[in-house]
Amino acid sequence: MIKRLKIYLPFTVNELKRRLAYKGAFYVFILISLFSSFISYYLWMAVYGSTNRQVLGGLSQKEMVVYVFMAYVTSFITISISDWVSEDVVKGTVAMNLIKPIDYRMSLIFRAAGDMIYRFLAPSVLIWIGIEVYKVVVLGLAPVTAGRVLLYLLSCAMSFLIYVLFDFCFGMVAFFTTYLLGLMMVQEALMGFLTGQLIPISFFPEALQRIFDFLPFTSMIYTPVMIYLGKYSGEELAFVLLRQAAWVAILYGIGSLIWKKVTKRLVVLGG
Amino acid sequence: MKQFDDILLKILNGMQDLSFLYKKRRLDSVNMRNDIEILPERKRFMIEVNHIFKEFVSPKKYPGLKGAVKGLFSNEKIVKTAVDDISFTIDKGEIVGYIGSNGAGKSTTIKMMTGILNPTRGNCQVAGIDPSKRRRENAQNIGVVFGQRTQLWWDLPLSESFTILKEIYDVPDQEFQRQMAFLNRVLALEEFFDRPVRTLSLGQRMRADLGAALLHNPKVLYLDEPTIGLDLVVKDNIREAIKEINEKYQTTVILTTHDIGDIEELCSRIIIIDKGHKIYDGSLARLKDTFGSRRTMSMEIRQPEKAKGIQLARALGVREEDCVSVVDQENGILNVSFDRHKLQVPQILAAVMEQMEIKDVRIQETELAQIVKEIYNHGIVEEKS
Repeated sequence: MIKRLKIYLPFTVNELKRRLAYKGAFYVFILISLFSSFISYYLWMAVYGSTNRQVLGGLSQKEMVVYVFMAYVTSFITISISDWVSEDVVKGTVAMNLIKPIDYRMSLIFRAAGDMIYRFLAPSVLIWIGIEVYKVVVLGLAPVTAGRVLLYLLSCAMSFLIYVLFDFCFGMVAFFTTYLLGLMMVQEALMGFLTGQLIPISFFPEALQRIFDFLPFTSMIYTPVMIYLGKYSGEELAFVLLRQAAWVAILYGIGSLIWKKVTKRLVVLGG
Repeated sequence: MKQFDDILLKILNGMQDLSFLYKKRRLDSVNMRNDIEILPERKRFMIEVNHIFKEFVSPKKYPGLKGAVKGLFSNEKIVKTAVDDISFTIDKGEIVGYIGSNGAGKSTTIKMMTGILNPTRGNCQVAGIDPSKRRRENAQNIGVVFGQRTQLWWDLPLSESFTILKEIYDVPDQEFQRQMAFLNRVLALEEFFDRPVRTLSLGQRMRADLGAALLHNPKVLYLDEPTIGLDLVVKDNIREAIKEINEKYQTTVILTTHDIGDIEELCSRIIIIDKGHKIYDGSLARLKDTFGSRRTMSMEIRQPEKAKGIQLARALGVREEDCVSVVDQENGILNVSFDRHKLQVPQILAAVMEQMEIKDVRIQETELAQIVKEIYNHGIVEEKS
C-alpha cells in the first residue's frame, strides 16, 4: 500500500514546485486572499453593528471575526480539481495519463495535495497566526488549545479529501459536455453558501439546515471551523468527525463507479 | 474467479516460456536446425489484434440556428465506425509502419492498443495482456509518443519529468542510471536536461518525449507521428535513435506517420488502413513491386489532335491495362502509363514517334508517396484477410 502510494508522491512535490515557479502569481494570490477576507470581515461587522443582539446564529461578534478568517484559512485547503479534469479532457491530455501505470484519480489527489500545501504555507498559516494573535490580544478571548488545533487539522485533512473527491465526480461531467467553465462558476457560487464559507450554516433556517445535514458540503468548511471555535464537544464532536469520514468513503465509492463508466465510453478528443 | 483464471494463464505461459527457453538453449548447442521444431504449438506474437471495431456515437447535428434548436429536441444519433474489423499480428522486434490518410482510424487503433480507448467489439493482446481489461499492467509494458502532445511536465525542468517517471514506472536506481546514459547518448538530452520543458524547441521536446517513453525500457513502443513538424536533421536523429533502440532491446515499434521517409528508413513491414479497413499488410518491397512497377511517360506533342485516337497498346502488342494513354488536349501532352516489366521506354517512344512529332519527354518513377496516395484515392483492395 505504502509502495503504491509512493509512486504518486512526485505529483505532490511537482505541483508544489510548479506553483513556486511562478513567483508573481504567488504574491498576487496572497494579496487577493487577504483582500477578500477583509471584505467579508467588514461586511459582518456592519451586520453585527446594525443589530442589538449579542449573538447571531450561535456566534458572538468576536467569534464571528474568528469564523470569517478561519473560514478563509480552511477554504484554501479545499482545492478545486474539476478544472484540471476539464482541461485534461478538452486538451486530450487525459490520454497521457492513461498510458501510464497509474490511477488517474490518485494522481489528481496527490497533485491537489501539493497545491494544498502551497496554499496552506502561503496565505493560510499567515492569516491563521494573525487571527490567533488578534483574538488573544485585541478581542481578549482564550487562545486555542493544542488538542483543538490537532482536531481541526484532522478535520481539515478530511475536508480536503471530501472536496477533492467530490470535485473529481463533478469534473467527470466534462467527459460528457467537454466544457465545464459555466458549470464551474455555478458550482463555485453555490459552494460558497453550502459549505459555510460565506455564511455560517447556523444562520440558515432550521429546515434548510436539516437538508444540508444530508449533503457533503457542510463537512468541507463549516465543520472544521466550528471545531476550531470549540462549538462541538463529546458525542457531537465524534459524530461530525465520523460524518466526514463517511463522506470520504461514500464519495470515493461514487467516484470509482463514475470513473469506470466514463472510461468505458471515453472519447479522447483530437489526434 | 476471473482473476484466478488470469493468474493461472500467466503461470502456464510462464512455464511454457521457461521450458521453451530451456529446450532452446539445449538444442542450440546440439543442432541449430532443430530450432524450427521446438517452437511452441501456437506462436505467441507480441501484439495480436483480433477483429477489432470501434464505433463512436454522437448526437445528430443540424445546420444553422434553426438546426441547433432542433438538435435540442431530437434524439437521433450518428454512429461512426472509426475502426472496422481490423486484425493483424506483430512479432517481437518488428518495426511496423501503420499508415493511412487523416481520419482513417490509425490513432484510434493505437489508442485501443494502449488501453486509452476500449474497443466496441473484438479484442487485442499486447505482450499477452488485454489493454482494455488491465490497462495499468499493460502500461508498464508500453511506451507511447504522441507527436502532437507531450507527456512531460510542462512547467518543470526536463530532469524532473524523468525523476517522476522513474517513480511511476518503479525503475530501480541502477537501471535508471544505465538507461539515462543510453538515452543521453542516443538522443543527446544533456544539452537541455535542466531547462523547463516549455522552453524546449519542438525538436528537443520530441527527443525528450521519446526518451521519456523509453525510460522504463518498454516491450512495445507506439509512435504516433513522431517526426511531425521536425526539420530534416532532427528527423534523421529521431529515426537513428528508433533504429538503435530497436536493435539493442528488440523493442517492437509501431509507427504511424504521414512522412514516407520515416517508413522507407525504418519499416520492413507496413499496414495500410483506409476508412477503418485494413487494405494492405505486407512488406514494403512487395508494395513497391506491386504498385511501383508502373511508370508514367509524359510526352509533349506538336499536334495534340492527332493523339486523340492513338491505340498504343494494340500497336505494341500488349494488354490494354499494361499501356494506358491519356491525352491532355489543353497542354498538348500525352501521358502514357505502363508496366516497366512488360514495356521499355524506347519501344513506346518509337511507337508514338511513328505517328506524331514529340517536343519533349519526361519519365516519372512511381515513388512510395505516390503509391500511397494512389491507394488512399482509389482504395485499391490488394488483399483482405
